[in-house]
Amino acid sequence: MMTYIVFILSVIFVVSFVGFSSKPSPIYGGLVLIVSGGVGCGIIMNFGGSFLGLMVFLIYLGGMLVVFGYTTAMATEQYPEVWVSNTTVMGVFLLGLLMEVMLVLYVLKSEEVGVVFKFSGVGDWAIYDIGDSGVFSEEIMGVAALYSYGAWVVIVTGWSLFVGVLVILEVTRGD
Amino acid sequence: MNPLIFTTILMTVLLGTMIVMMSSHWLMIWIGFEMNLLAIIPILMKKYNPRTMEASTKYFLTQATASMLLMMAIIINLMHSGQWTITKVFNPTASIIMTSALAMKLGLTPFHFWVPEVTQGISLTSGLILLTWQKLAPMSILYQISPSINLNILLTMAVLSILVGGWGGLNQTQLRKIMAYSSIAHMGWMTAVLVYNPTLTMLNMLIYIMMTLTMFMLFIHSSSTTMLSLSHTWNKTPLTTTLILITLLSMGGLPPLSGFMPKWMIIQELTKNSSIILPTLMAIMALLNLYFYMRLTYSTSLTMFPSTNNMKMKWQFETKRITLLPPLIVMSSLLLPLTPMLSILD
Repeated sequence: MMTYIVFILSVIFVVSFVGFSSKPSPIYGGLVLIVSGGVGCGIIMNFGGSFLGLMVFLIYLGGMLVVFGYTTAMATEQYPEVWVSNTTVMGVFLLGLLMEVMLVLYVLKSEEVGVVFKFSGVGDWAIYDIGDSGVFSEEIMGVAALYSYGAWVVIVTGWSLFVGVLVILEVTRGD
Repeated sequence: MNPLIFTTILMTVLLGTMIVMMSSHWLMIWIGFEMNLLAIIPILMKKYNPRTMEASTKYFLTQATASMLLMMAIIINLMHSGQWTITKVFNPTASIIMTSALAMKLGLTPFHFWVPEVTQGISLTSGLILLTWQKLAPMSILYQISPSINLNILLTMAVLSILVGGWGGLNQTQLRKIMAYSSIAHMGWMTAVLVYNPTLTMLNMLIYIMMTLTMFMLFIHSSSTTMLSLSHTWNKTPLTTTLILITLLSMGGLPPLSGFMPKWMIIQELTKNSSIILPTLMAIMALLNLYFYMRLTYSTSLTMFPSTNNMKMKWQFETKRITLLPPLIVMSSLLLPLTPMLSILD
């Protein structure tokens, strides 16, 4: 099972995305976001990126999702929608689940999946080596490169986040 | 809103488009599109009524979907070419997805449904920014990937856009919807010649922006958003009726005005490439556009409909200061003799 762990985690990832895309109440959406964040962290860790995975847990789940959960708890309604309470939501969730199951069966049965890009079986997901250099870890080098070569990206994304806050304050101000 | 915040957000819209136009890494281009989208939402929502909020939501949903499709095309391109540089797209599937994504951002058929609704729901100035500045970024990306665009898809979208832009504008009396359908048709003309000679796309974009800018400023100057309201400008500022006449005929593509220049060049370029039926069809469908421009000029400048005396007066707001209106009017009507200068766009 450990050779196929990335495949299993990615299936759980897609299922939890289907879970919140079928639009239950935001509280339950946040719940599956936690699951998908954790599973995504697991996927990254299997590729050797322990730093980035823990970053996901700390900042995304422990920072942003906590704030989201608190604000949603303040704005929630008396009977929030679950996946089984509303026919539409349950229908969409089951449809997404069905499509994912069919895709998984297609991958498991046939040797090769050639929908848009070639994907030769479940073994394609297994990791056999970490990277070229045996001394430095790739993903820490990537983080270092972000702050040296990628300074422009940091500036642009920082400015986008700042303007995002301004925009949200402006939009929700009303008059 | 607070002037400082408004300036910051407007500068971010400009910065977003600049980042799209000058980046060589696909991810930065995507970031530029998102920054542009995020910052223009409060500009669309300047007045806080349900109409503007609905229009902004529609705009945000369609553009976010287009950005997602763009990201998917970028990733497929990465998988097949192994690099992030924007040169040409190395895989036909990625090229088709990217063309569809950029067509959604521009408002080409079959993704044109958001343009009239969003343009109608927002104020005239916001509509101006929407129909001119927001077209620059997707068009620059189309220009850069033009060697690898699937010709059939692009030409189908272009011809259908010209048809829809002409046909859809026929039953409209609201000026913003008329400008929206005119934008759809002009985008169709621009993308039709993209694969053959991208310089003409840039020329058409330039002339289109000048003419649309002029039209919107004339509308803002007379504070009119309907055909009925525009037909009363003879009473307020008689000079603008003549200017509206000239600019509208230029938009319709009549010689000797400058709106004729892009159409002429595009038809010439298409016939040089041995396609005759296509430019004929495009020119015939441009007649539909010309019809509703002429109807606008008829009711505005050429006729005074009989009405009671108190209907003739427009409410006299204080005169708005419109920047650069005279040069814009001159440029959008008299540029035809400068056609040989289009070689500077290469």
